Amino acid sequence: MASGQGMTRRRVLATLGAAGVVTLAGVALSPRTGGAQALGQNESLEAALQRVFGGRPLRDGSATIKFDVPLIAENGAVVPVAVEVNAPMTPQSYVKHIYVVADKNRIPIVTRVALTPESGQAYMGANIRLGETGDVRAIVEQSDGTLLQVKREVKVTVGGCGG
Amino acid sequence: MGAGASVSDIGKVRLRLPASIKTGDVVRVRCLVIHPMERVERDKAGKIVDKKYRYIDKVTVTYLGRTIASFDTTQSVSENPFFAFTFKATDPGKLAVTFHDTHGETYEGTADIRFG
Repeated sequence: MASGQGMTRRRVLATLGAAGVVTLAGVALSPRTGGAQALGQNESLEAALQRVFGGRPLRDGSATIKFDVPLIAENGAVVPVAVEVNAPMTPQSYVKHIYVVADKNRIPIVTRVALTPESGQAYMGANIRLGETGDVRAIVEQSDGTLLQVKREVKVTVGGCGG
Repeated sequence: MGAGASVSDIGKVRLRLPASIKTGDVVRVRCLVIHPMERVERDKAGKIVDKKYRYIDKVTVTYLGRTIASFDTTQSVSENPFFAFTFKATDPGKLAVTFHDTHGETYEGTADIRFG
């Protein structure tokens, strides 16, 4: 695990170095499983979505997803978010993953929550960092593979991502 | 925020549950761990400093010995991370939340689920 982490970082650095400032969807997308180590990378939003969801369509989920984020975050270092999905949690049909994605962060994928029917309800909450004003998305993956998303703009007064 | 926790506090876990739980309830749990969640540093030229950043990258929730939820987390999560989740309280037993960081440390908080 430890060395795998180092490899990932080195690879990311190498890619960044080679490419200069240009965002390169193609190269950064070398086949890689979506494990925890690979989740948080310095990449563009498009590259992150392509890598994690592989171009599958994101449907509008505003009817089923309740996404709680502040309109204005005075401190980008601690922004509370909560996602609640109005969907059954039975072994036949349940919410498998909830993703939180911050469009403008250098590491866009904030967290991925894996749920099981024993969770009882598709709900998650977390405190996240936001580097600057921009959209924050909640993306829900159901057990049949359907992807739903909602997004909200959060205005950030003081950014919280540093570097 | 940066100067918040002292080193000795790292890894302290707090779990908050409702005062009384009935069989079959879907219970909302809030948890927090004291942890620096180091963010990416850059040198003067704007290059990322290559080091093994220490942050929590995995949180697992087990109830009655089964994993019921897990969080894969990145450096975009706040310092002293807070998470909330639910579980269905079917039987009395142990609820455990384990935090894993990139330096191989694990921190655990547990709660005894009782009905009354």
